[in-house]
Order: sequence, then structure tokens, then C-alpha cells
Amino acid sequence: MIRLFNVRKAYRQGKNEITALAGVSLHIREREFAVIVGPSGSGKSTLLHLMGGLDRPTEGEVMVDGRIISQMPDNPVTLFRRRNIGIVFQFFNLLPTLTAVENVMLPLILDGQPKVKASARAEALLDRVGLSGRNDHLPEELSGGENQRIAIARALVFSPQILLADEPTGNLDSGTGETVLELVRLINREEGCTVVMVTHNPRAAEYGDRVIHLRDGLIEEGRSP
Amino acid sequence: MIGLLRFVTFPHVRQHQLRTSLTLVGIALGVAVIVAISIVNRTLVSSFQRTIDLIAGKAVLQVLNAESGIKESLFAVIRDTDGVKDAAPAVQGFLPVVEIEGERLFVYGVDLLTDSIIRDHQFVSASFDFETALDFIARPDSVALTESFSRRLELPIGAKITLATSRGKRTYTVRALLKEEGTAKVFGGSFALMDLPVAQLAFGKERKLDIVDLTVEEGEEIERVRERIQARLDGAAEVKRPSSRGQQIESLLTSFRVGLFFVSLIALFVGFFLIYNTVSISVVQRKREIGTLRCLGLLRRDVLMLFVVEALLMALLGSLAGVLIGALLAEMAVLLVGKTVSNLFLEVDLAGTVMTLRELWVGLGSGLGVSLLAGLFPAMEATRVNPLENYRQAAWTPRSQRISRASLVGLVLLVISLLLWLFSPVGLGGLERFTLGVVGTLLFLLAICFLSPLFILWSVRVLRLCLMPFTWAGGRLALDNLARSPVRCGITVATLMISLAAIFTIAVFIHSVRGSLLSWVDRMVTADLIVSSSARTAGPINVPLKEDLAEEFRAIPGVRILDLYRMIRSTYRGRPIFVESFSVEASGAVRALPTVEGEWRRILKQMAVGEGVIVSESFQSRFGKGLGDTIDLPTPSGLVTFTVLGVYVDYSSDAGTVLIDRALYKKLWQDNLVDAFDLWLDPGTDEGRVIQEIRRNYGEKFQLFISTHRELRETVVAIMEQSFNVNYAVLVVAVVVATLGVINTLLASVLDRTREIGVLRAIGATQHQIQMMVEAEAGWMGLNGGILGLVAGTIISYHHVVYNTKVLTGWTFQYHYPFDVASLCILLAVVLCLLAGYGPARKAASSNIVAAVGYE
Repeated sequence: MIRLFNVRKAYRQGKNEITALAGVSLHIREREFAVIVGPSGSGKSTLLHLMGGLDRPTEGEVMVDGRIISQMPDNPVTLFRRRNIGIVFQFFNLLPTLTAVENVMLPLILDGQPKVKASARAEALLDRVGLSGRNDHLPEELSGGENQRIAIARALVFSPQILLADEPTGNLDSGTGETVLELVRLINREEGCTVVMVTHNPRAAEYGDRVIHLRDGLIEEGRSP
Repeated sequence: MIGLLRFVTFPHVRQHQLRTSLTLVGIALGVAVIVAISIVNRTLVSSFQRTIDLIAGKAVLQVLNAESGIKESLFAVIRDTDGVKDAAPAVQGFLPVVEIEGERLFVYGVDLLTDSIIRDHQFVSASFDFETALDFIARPDSVALTESFSRRLELPIGAKITLATSRGKRTYTVRALLKEEGTAKVFGGSFALMDLPVAQLAFGKERKLDIVDLTVEEGEEIERVRERIQARLDGAAEVKRPSSRGQQIESLLTSFRVGLFFVSLIALFVGFFLIYNTVSISVVQRKREIGTLRCLGLLRRDVLMLFVVEALLMALLGSLAGVLIGALLAEMAVLLVGKTVSNLFLEVDLAGTVMTLRELWVGLGSGLGVSLLAGLFPAMEATRVNPLENYRQAAWTPRSQRISRASLVGLVLLVISLLLWLFSPVGLGGLERFTLGVVGTLLFLLAICFLSPLFILWSVRVLRLCLMPFTWAGGRLALDNLARSPVRCGITVATLMISLAAIFTIAVFIHSVRGSLLSWVDRMVTADLIVSSSARTAGPINVPLKEDLAEEFRAIPGVRILDLYRMIRSTYRGRPIFVESFSVEASGAVRALPTVEGEWRRILKQMAVGEGVIVSESFQSRFGKGLGDTIDLPTPSGLVTFTVLGVYVDYSSDAGTVLIDRALYKKLWQDNLVDAFDLWLDPGTDEGRVIQEIRRNYGEKFQLFISTHRELRETVVAIMEQSFNVNYAVLVVAVVVATLGVINTLLASVLDRTREIGVLRAIGATQHQIQMMVEAEAGWMGLNGGILGLVAGTIISYHHVVYNTKVLTGWTFQYHYPFDVASLCILLAVVLCLLAGYGPARKAASSNIVAAVGYE
């Protein structure tokens, strides 16, 4: 489903060049729940961003569902991401002025779908993540866990093949975190959605089928399954 | 404080160079306009005074009677008054140089043998002694030119120069050259000296003088001598100190200068909002930073000082640049204004536009003062930032309390402004009531500004409903963003609104003036042809002709009626007015002047038998004299009392005009000159043939201009529009400043929502959608600003045209609504905003998603 071929990513910070990924090759299979772990600065999030087409590698190629997204122009890659990849962030990244249901339906609206249809889909998804009574609440009126569930519902609005989660429990207490992780696993199991999750929480890593260890921008070969 | 500026302000400025630059440009432009107008206003008065001083020489008193002139026989009376030491008579005026387009000479006719007592004429040739002077006087074609004029037109001693005089073309011989000193410095050296009788003939002022300059005996009190002469003249002329004559132009130009001031006030007002906008945005953007600094122990007053000092520093830089730009602008503006003043009022020898310390302080003071006022409120907002701000999610959420408070203030201001408009105290003078009206207008604009956030919320609601059936994501997101920050967007919309309201007010004013003026011209000047000399319309640059031509014109086949029109500058109660005259007997039947008091036909009958005069609306407004009152006018025959038979509409000058029958005028003013010959032709007469005949027989000799009725209309409109040139220029500045405000707001909005835009991009918004979202915001702000500007402009323009102008000038204008300009205003607002939004929209679309959604 996702293939990375010798991917290198370097950033310029002032006069220095910082290497985030130093040549990573990786294959995530369809329906797999892969967890990327590693210390801060190891390149976990960078790897996830490259898989989601949010960023481009300095060298190497990123292939998702048979397409080399690292070489696609911005517009096609955006449309591909919109319809095929759901992304969940640590800080939820919901729009503070939109209600729960409006946040969830936002990608559909961006896609030009009719509001009634988008709204029905969003309500169904909120129901699915256990927030059926919270449709018209603003993010600031809800708890962290509830906000993260809205974010997951938003990520699933197009029934994507891939769900990328960047520290989804990083901003939640352990109990709420468990609930969110259960939900992600359920999505993986029931809907066959390929999940790649970045975390530095060992407890969260246990939810994955496979754990990929990153250190200094490289996969720690010895620890990879 | 310096440490705070170094560690907090300067890095922020470095990070937002574009926005800081836009604000600086805005302040600089606003200040530049104020400085330029201030310089122009002062230059006008000081140039006039300088000309008077140069010509006056050593004279401490001057006897004059505006353009009415003084009977030559009074000279002896003046000279022989106790206390008068020396007296020098003169006539003066402009004469065009024939066949050299645009070249005119200010001709001063003096008694060369006695004039040197008052004025020191420096001749180039050392041999210009008594005998040479006698020779100069003995030959009736002698003229002395300045060295520079002689050099420029290649007219050495002995050369001939032909001038268009009131008797037609006359050729003079250059018999002396003047050094450009003293009197000869006026009008850039376009100065000529003639012997008094020669000049009197050239101007058609035989046995008349324009001015008598005096010195007084040592030990005599000037004021006592002045009173003595005044008493002996019995109202036939006025005695003034040269130094007090500058007030004359101040009085004459009051409304013109007030108009300019009004326009500079708009620039200042727009500048105020730009600074308010910038500081507000700066506070919003740095809430987290302020929170951190507060955590680290920064006091509230330090926060206040930080933002106030920032605003002042920005204002200082912008104002300094503005002062310099203003000085340059003034150079250009003074030419424009000078041309208008020459056309409408009187010829002013404009001196160079040197900036004085006063203007420097006006520029810096207004820039700093307005910035302080504008920056204070957002700076106080900054002091309310909670130290825990750092831990909150950065989002600028609407605060309903703030909006309702702003709306309440808006409503209160609205009521006050309406009260000021509706209940202006009648006891106050015109200028004071006009000022109150302007204050009301500013409060009205301020009220709309305070109400604009509420308007934005309403308009967003309306548009949401309209967009309901559509799925345009960019539009929906744009509306959300606007609804989220109605105050910030409100400030931008308000800035835009003020500029548009100003444009619209001026447009309506011009439209109404044009409409009223043309309908007045149609009723005032009904003649088919108007023949004049040297200038197309009567006024300060006209050279009047002798009336001898009348008989010749009358003899031309096809000429049904011929009338003689004259307009001169005069005074009433020491203040400048105009006196115009035509023959009721000749043309009463074909003229139909609009009157506001008295019935026209009855007035005509009374005027024809010399029972009185009629006065203009401006005259009535200035001096409070109307139907049935009497007025005393200084004529060369002495002070004469006239009965006011009616009040008529007249737009030729807001100084006030008195209309008198020509027969009475000629008798009292002893003046048979003519500014224009009005010709009515027989029906079916070929206009072109008559024009050709006049041109062929008299055109060349008398340097005649022949205008048809249509051409005169066009000239009137052209002169009127020229007088609005400076206003247009300032309005352009106001629009530029408002556009800078829109760019500023959108840039800040984009920067403020970096994370949000990143999220939108992450969940699938394309670059195009983001760009459209920002552009839609810009367009919507433009539409809101346009609508509000139009509403405010309509109300203000109605008040300005119908009420305020009447109060200041006495003129009644019909309110003409320019529907085309109204739709253009809205279009302009939207297009400007869309253009202004392009840069920020591109910036938003190309933002880095990873950096935007990354953790802070």
C-alpha cells in the first residue's frame, strides 16, 4: 500500500542542514496497522508527512497505492490526499469556529459535495465514533478525547484506504487515549483501513501489527520485524 | 523600554517587514497631504502679501478701491492731506503679449519722475538719468521691461513688443531695462513699467487710478493720517496699510481653503484607521508573546508603553517621510491651486513653496498625535492579555460583548452627529456652522465605523443564507473567517468606507455643482455668442475692452440684441465682493435669472430705472442683506447707498456679487469698459458667418475670443473641474491608504491563521481553494466597505451639498445623484480589495503545510 524507496529528507535551519530522514526504505502492506516509534527528532513525523503527501522528500520516492506521490504536482496530490488518506494530529487541528458536524463534513465540502449529503455522512460518522449527541458543539465546548474523535471522524469522511495518525494520544490522558486507540484499531480491523501511527508511547505501540523503530532518521534494522 | 523594543519590537518588525512598510507608506501619504495643503494654503496668502509688499515699496499707506478705481482728481486731495509726505499714483494690470501664447506682462503705470520716492526702480543702464526719463515719458510708446523678460523673449532696448490692450493691439518700444529688484521681482520678472498716461490708455482707465501709495511725515501717526484721508475721500476709496491687505485674499479664499482643509481631514481620518488597524493586528498576533512576557514579570503599564512607543516610532518615521513627500507634493499642488485661484479669484504671484517650521510641526504633530490616539485603544487591549495566553489555542474568537459595546458607542455617536446636523445654532457665523457640520460628519463616519462589525455579522448571515444552496467551499470558509473577526475586518471595512464615502461625497458635490452651474449658465448667459478679449470668461485674467466696438457689432447683419457685460472686484464693508452689470434695457427681455427673493420681471423694471441693485445668495449669506435692505458701495463717485431689489442665484463667486444696471454702473463707476459683448442673433442666422465676420474685422486687432453658448458652458465646467483637481489627488491618496489597510488586514489574517490554513491543506483543500477563500474574504470586505461607503456617502453628500455648502458659501445647489458613480464606487471597492487580496491569497495558498500544522 505504501512504499518508500531510499527516502532522504533534509531541512535548512539557518546555515545548517538538518537531516530528518537519512535514507529510509519501507513497505507498509494493505490493511496493516504499523506503528512508528522513536525518540524526539528521530524523523517519525517527517516520515508520516511524506506518506501523506504533506511534504516532499529531498531524495527518493514515496509510492502510495501504486502512485508515486512524491513526484506528483501539488493539485493532484492534494486531491489524492483528500479522497484517499485520512490524517489525525496530536492537537486535533479542528477549526475552532465550526461545530463538530461542520468540522467532519469539511473535506466533503471542499470536494464540492452537496451540504445535505455531507451533513448526513458527517452525522453518521460522529455516531460511529460515539459522539451522536455532540453534533452542534464547538470544539472548545468538548473534551480533548471528544475532539480527537471528531478529528478521527473527519479523517474517515471519505472512507480512506489509509489513516495516518501523528501522536493521536499525545494530548490525552491515558484513559481517553485508550478509547481513541481502540477506535483506531476498530477502524483498521472492521474497515480494512491501513493505519500508520506515530507515537513515543510504548503502550500505544502495542496496538499495532508491526512496530518500526526510527533513530537519527534511519530505521533501526535490528529491531524491525 | 529600549531593551523591550530591541528584544520584542524589532524582531517582530523584521518578521513583518511588508506590513510595517505598508503602514509607514500609509502614514507618510496621510502626513504628506496635510503638509502639502498646509504649505499651499500659506503660500497662497504669503505670495499675495509678498506681491503687495514688493509693489508697495516704502509706502506705509495705500489708497485703493479694488477694480473700481479712484478718480484721478482725488489724487490732489490725497496728496494734500495733512501728514502725507509723498504720494505716488499708479494703474496696474495684466496685458497679454500678442502672438506669444500664455505670455503676459504685469504692467505698472507710474509717474516716473515722482515714483522713485516710494519705489526704487533699478535700471540696468546707469545712464537712465533725469533726461533719459524725460525722453521715456515724452514718447507715448515707451515701456521698460525686466532684464530676464527681455532676455527670455529676446527684446533688447529698441525692440518692439505688441500687447493686447483694451483698445486692441498696441505696439510699444523697449526703452529701458529694469534690474530684477524690488517691484520688478513680481510675477517672476514678467513685469513692465509704463508712464502713467500710457498705461491708463492701455487699460482704458483714463482719468482713473488704481492705487495711490503714500508715506507720512516724520512724527505723524500712520493711523491718524489714514483716518484723515479716509474722511476726505467720503467713501470713494479705502485707505489701508499694505500689511493688512493679505487678509483680503484670506477672506476671498475662505471657502476654497476650508475645502482643502476638509479634504486633508479625510486623509488624516483614513490614516487614523490604518494605524489603529496595524496596532490592533500587532496586538492580536503577539498575544502569546505578551502572555509569555507577562509570565516573566512584565507589568501591564510596560505592555501599554511598549505598544504606544511602537506606534509612535512608526508614526515618527512615517511622518518624517511624509513631511518630505509633502514638501514635494506642495510644489506640484501649488501650481494646480494657483491656476484655480487665478481663474476664479485673482492673479497670485506664487512664491516658491518653502516649508516653514510650522508646517514641519503640523506634519509631525498630526502624524504623532493621530498615531497616539489610534494606538492607545489597541495598546490598552494588550494590557488585558492574560499571562496564561500561552497555553491557549491561538484563535481570535469574536467577543460578542465587544461588538455590542462598539455598536452602542456607534449608536450614541450617530445620534450626536444627527443632532449636530439638524440643530446647528443659527446665531453662529457661516464658518462656525460649517465647522459644526464637519464635526457632525466626522462623528457620523465614526458612528458607522463602530457599527461596521455589526454590519459585517449581519451581512455574513445574509450571504450564508444566499450561499446555502451552493457548495462553494472557499466562500463558506471566507464567511466563517469574517464572522470570526468582525472587529478586525470592521476596521478595514471602515477605512474603506471612509475613503469611498469621501470619493462619493466629492463626486456628488461635483455632479450637483455641475448640474446647478450649467442650469444657471443657461439662464444667466442666454446669448448666442459671447465676445471677449484675451480670456474666455470675465474675471481676474480678463482684459476689458472699450465699449466703442458695440456699435460695430450691432451693425453686423443678423445681430438682434447686443449687450455689454462687466464684472469687477469691489469691496463691501472692507471685504472683497464682485460687482457685475449688464443693460436691463438691452437684454432684460432675453435673460431670466433665477431669484430666491423678489420677482424677476419686477426687479428688472426697477433696475432699469435705477431704483437699486440685486445681490447674490452668497452676498446675502455673508452680509445678511436681502430684499428691501440697503447697502453702501464705494464707487469712484463716493459711497453710494443702494436698495436691494432682490436676491439671485449666482455661482460666479462665493465672495458675494452685486448686480447693477449698466447705465447706473457707468454713471457711478465712471467706467465704460466691457468684459464681454453678449450677442443674440436673429432666428435662422448663420452663427458661423457672424463669428467669421467678427474675426475678420476685429479679431486680429482686438485679440478677440468668440465663444458660442456651448463653448462657454464647456469652459465653465472645465474651470469648475480644475478647481477640484487637488481634491481628486487627495482622494486618490485616501484610496491608496485604504487599500494598504486591506492588504495589511488580509496579510495579518493569513499570518494569524497559518495553522488553520495548514490544516485545511492537510485535509484536502487545494491551493486554488485557499486562494479563493482569501480572495472571497477580500471581495466581501470590499463589498461591505462599498455598500457602507455608499450609504454614508449618500447621507453626507446630501448634507454637504444642500446644507453645509449653503452655510459656508451661501450657494444653493440642486442635489444631483450620480447613479453611475454610485455603482462604480461599489465596483471600485470590490476590485481594489480583490487586487489587494491577491498577494495575501498567494501567500496563504503557498504556505508550508508541515510547518503550519506542526506543534508550537
